[in-house]
Amino acid sequence: MYVEVKDLKKSYGEGGSYVEVLKGVSVGVERGEMCVIQGTSGSGKSTLLNCIGGLDDIDSGSCRIDGLEIAGMKKDRLSDYRRDTLGFIFQFYNLVPNLTVRENIEVCRYLTKDPLDMDELLDTLGLKEHAAKFPSQLSGGQQQRTAIARALIKNPKLLLCDEPTGALDSKTSRDILVLLEKINAKYGTTMLIVTHNNSIKNMVHRVIFLKDGEIAKQYTNEKRIPAIELEDL
Amino acid sequence: MQKVLRKRVFRSLKKHLIRYTMLGLMIVMGIFLVVTIVGSGETLSRGTEDIAEQTALEDGEFEVFVPLTEGNKAHIRDMGVELEEQFYYDYEMDDAYFGTLRIFRIRDRINRAYYISGTEPAQKNDILAEKRYAEEHELECGDSLDIAGVSYRVSGIVVVSDYDAPFKEISDTSCNSRSFGPVFLTKEAYEEFRASGRAQRSETYLYAYRLGENATDQELKAYLRDIKIEAEEVDDDLFREYWDRTAGVTDQLTEAVSGLKDAAKEVRDALKELSEKNGDITDAADLLFSAYLQQTADALAGYGFTAELTEENYGSRIQEMTDAAPLEEMKRSLTEVREQLDALKEFKDGLTKYTDAVTEIADGTGEMEEGVEELGDAVDDTIEELDLELSNLTSFLKRSDNPRVFATKNDKVVDIDVGVIAGIILLILMAYVISVFVVHSIESESSIIGTLYSMGVTKNDLLLHYISLPVVVTFIAGLAGVLLASTGVMAPMIAESSYVYFSIPVFEFRVPEYLWVYALVFPPVLAVIVNVLVISKKLNRPALSLIRNEAKQGKIKKVDLGRLSFIPAFRIRQMLRELRSTIAVVLGMFLSLLVFMMAVNCYTLCENIAKDYSADTKFEYMYTLKYPEKEVPAGAEAAYAYTCKKEIFGFNFDVTILGIDDDNPFFDVKPSDSKLEVIVSSAFAEKFGLEEGDEFVVTDEEKEIKYAFSVGEITKYATSFFIFMDIDEMREMMGEADDHYNVLFSAGKLDIDPGRLYSLTSRSDIVKGAEVFTSLMMPMIGTLTFASAVIFCVVLYLMMKVMIDRSAQNISLIKVFGYRRKEIRKLYLDGNFYVIAVGALIVIQLSKKMMNMMFPFMISNVACGLNVETPYAFYIIMYAVILALYFFINALLVRRLDKFTLAEILKNRE
Repeated sequence: MYVEVKDLKKSYGEGGSYVEVLKGVSVGVERGEMCVIQGTSGSGKSTLLNCIGGLDDIDSGSCRIDGLEIAGMKKDRLSDYRRDTLGFIFQFYNLVPNLTVRENIEVCRYLTKDPLDMDELLDTLGLKEHAAKFPSQLSGGQQQRTAIARALIKNPKLLLCDEPTGALDSKTSRDILVLLEKINAKYGTTMLIVTHNNSIKNMVHRVIFLKDGEIAKQYTNEKRIPAIELEDL
Repeated sequence: MQKVLRKRVFRSLKKHLIRYTMLGLMIVMGIFLVVTIVGSGETLSRGTEDIAEQTALEDGEFEVFVPLTEGNKAHIRDMGVELEEQFYYDYEMDDAYFGTLRIFRIRDRINRAYYISGTEPAQKNDILAEKRYAEEHELECGDSLDIAGVSYRVSGIVVVSDYDAPFKEISDTSCNSRSFGPVFLTKEAYEEFRASGRAQRSETYLYAYRLGENATDQELKAYLRDIKIEAEEVDDDLFREYWDRTAGVTDQLTEAVSGLKDAAKEVRDALKELSEKNGDITDAADLLFSAYLQQTADALAGYGFTAELTEENYGSRIQEMTDAAPLEEMKRSLTEVREQLDALKEFKDGLTKYTDAVTEIADGTGEMEEGVEELGDAVDDTIEELDLELSNLTSFLKRSDNPRVFATKNDKVVDIDVGVIAGIILLILMAYVISVFVVHSIESESSIIGTLYSMGVTKNDLLLHYISLPVVVTFIAGLAGVLLASTGVMAPMIAESSYVYFSIPVFEFRVPEYLWVYALVFPPVLAVIVNVLVISKKLNRPALSLIRNEAKQGKIKKVDLGRLSFIPAFRIRQMLRELRSTIAVVLGMFLSLLVFMMAVNCYTLCENIAKDYSADTKFEYMYTLKYPEKEVPAGAEAAYAYTCKKEIFGFNFDVTILGIDDDNPFFDVKPSDSKLEVIVSSAFAEKFGLEEGDEFVVTDEEKEIKYAFSVGEITKYATSFFIFMDIDEMREMMGEADDHYNVLFSAGKLDIDPGRLYSLTSRSDIVKGAEVFTSLMMPMIGTLTFASAVIFCVVLYLMMKVMIDRSAQNISLIKVFGYRRKEIRKLYLDGNFYVIAVGALIVIQLSKKMMNMMFPFMISNVACGLNVETPYAFYIIMYAVILALYFFINALLVRRLDKFTLAEILKNRE
């Protein structure tokens, strides 16, 4: 397994405000798989993603990424782990507003010695003609594509996407998913996608359902439907 | 709505407690320092004014050769002028430790003593000692002081307002209470001293006056100047010797003209008598000649030559006879006869010419006599015009021209001006810093503001809301600052140097009313103005734009950086994004440096004065003479000094026209033979903003004449406001004798009777006097330096913190991407290094230049040059300190980077 989570627990608060968000979650994702984590609001899907991404501490359990145990890992090493291994895509893009598209992508390019070709990536993502624009001059879809480009430039082994289409309309959402599918196919990037969106489960290799901090269901999607063919987003 | 918003104000304050606390503390510090410095200056200034009021400070004083008569005094009283004799003796104490005492009689009405301790004299031999002199000589009430063999008991330690700065001579550059101080004897003791004959010098007849409602200094002076006396009345041998040699020559001139008149009259009478005899002489000559012609005619008739000979025809007729004579011997005889007649005629004509001339001369003597009469009148007029009659008035000093009076107050003008300006600079900066905070808040609350707008909240409601915190903070900080300052906790330190230099009591520190207004009103008002200007623009955006938090990118921020590599490009973008904060940092640096440059200029001015005075003063002694000897003493260089006035910024300064020989070894100047083109000292040129080729005018208030000159050359001479001229040209210009002088410069001590001197100034006095400036200014210099460093650090810290806080989400984001602390610092903090490094290079020069421009106004009352040239090393050190402070602040803020958690970025989701 490329991603191997075992009995992962995570809680917040103390006393009366104590909430156990993840109650011993165990999941596994193979290298190169696209995996979607679904669940209702408050089910713990983003928390799980954050724990895997090293953004949140793990209370107990194990989380191995490509054999590397990140539970209990020190901040500096976690930072290195994210730097070397991960790519992040957020719902609200989180672009640096005062940087151009190219400069935003360079933020992550700077972190690797072996980045992808910037121009090729801009071309692939349809951003070539927007490279000198600032985020405020872009549409939502263009901003998310910039965020994807930024995540991909360092050719991460694992791409963590937190509601990547949450702020987009259905047409643009489909475009983004098509793009992610292409990237997966082209670079073999393992992807963990957190989403409310039910339709996405049809295009991914693996589906995990969370409910109240526990795995309600997880399965491998034998009949994947290419994103382009998704009807309802 | 306001009620709800008010709650947010407190929450906002709580949220940004550190930020506002630091800001508030800085305002507290600023107001505290300003109120302390300015309040201290005002306390001393007003305190001395109060004492002057209480003790009836003079409006002026004057000295006379001989005491005024009762008639003079009555006339002066009628002019509405109150007068009091304040005669004194200067007495050099036998023990050199005690220096020179100026012995006065206790004053009754004008310039009365203000008691620091002790009481009025109860016994005849009780004495009052001046405070500074008493301190320097550790005299206390009850101590005895022996003067001229009489023991006096110190009954009181006092100050007198006419010796606020206890200069021995008006021309002294500094006070030295170790070597000089006034004391006050009882009337009986003073009379006894006078009668004892123990005085070393003659008594000085000084009068202090106070003007009534309609009286003026000018009228009094004019009256006093018109009181003439005979030189013999003056009880001073040196004076009389001088008078006889100088102004006394007018008597000789008058006598000579009178003699000339008498002689002319005698000549006229003699010639008149002579001319009266002219007729007799010419008649006798005519008769003689006629008789001789007749005798010749008769003799010739005897030889057969008959002819009637006349004066007109005798020559031709005798010639005819000669030609007709048959014999040679006869011819010869006739020629001789004719020659004798020619000689006689010539004699007769000569006598006629002589009598004509005598008549002419006699006629001319009338004119000559008239001419001599005119000469006499002209000499009288000239003597009258030159006012060479002896006026009883020897000096007249208005209060405003007296450097001893209100010296503390005048000294504090600089402190007050500098303090007020520094405070304004600080408050403007603080207001700007606050506006940066508010803008930050508005930007981060953009969507809330938009929502409130959409719900009907007006812009004014929000404006009121956003300015309320700055106004409250600045008001409370101002109040705290002024309250803290009003305790006077630091005032003694600021005023210490004045108390150990000027003769003033220790005043209770008071904050004048205008400083309360300054501290309480000025900060919030400034905060309102600056914030309204800044916030209004931000709140003008449409509600939807605010809700969407659309970042408005100006042209500057959108600048195309091309393919600049990532780190520099990122830093530039960051700098552009934080332009307001960057400007605040640079502005803060500029304003704090401006405050610091005030301190630097004060310090360098004092230091340069001390250095320049030492370097430029090449003579060891300068004797200002009252009664110069006829011959210049050996080893001395004579000069002619004349004091005029020149005004700048409302202050009237003494300017000395100094006539010197071009080989005077004590001045490195060679004046030209011109009365127009002069050489001026650098101090004079700096103070009055003159350059070579400029023309300027100085006023002789005594003679009510203006002298115009052009600057031929500026010579480095920092000690005085000098206009150098060739001494002969100056003597001619001033109408003085060609050997006149009144100043002597020498390399060694001269043997000159002290009675001849106005003052003796030694090089060491000048150098020591110059060093006093530094010690007087040091408390303020130190305070300003400290304040500017704090301002710089706080502004830099707050603004860099704002920049970081505004980038919290982005920092969190790049942390998510795996950026390390060092890399984050590189992106978000190190860019500021270039702002500081480059900014400091520019701002140091700019602030220095600006302060150099402002400085003349700040020290407009100080009579010195403006040499504020600062050594280069100083700038290098300053630059290094700025960078060191930056690194210090940077190190503090690096830790702040760790405080941004990764969760920050995760908040930005649904």
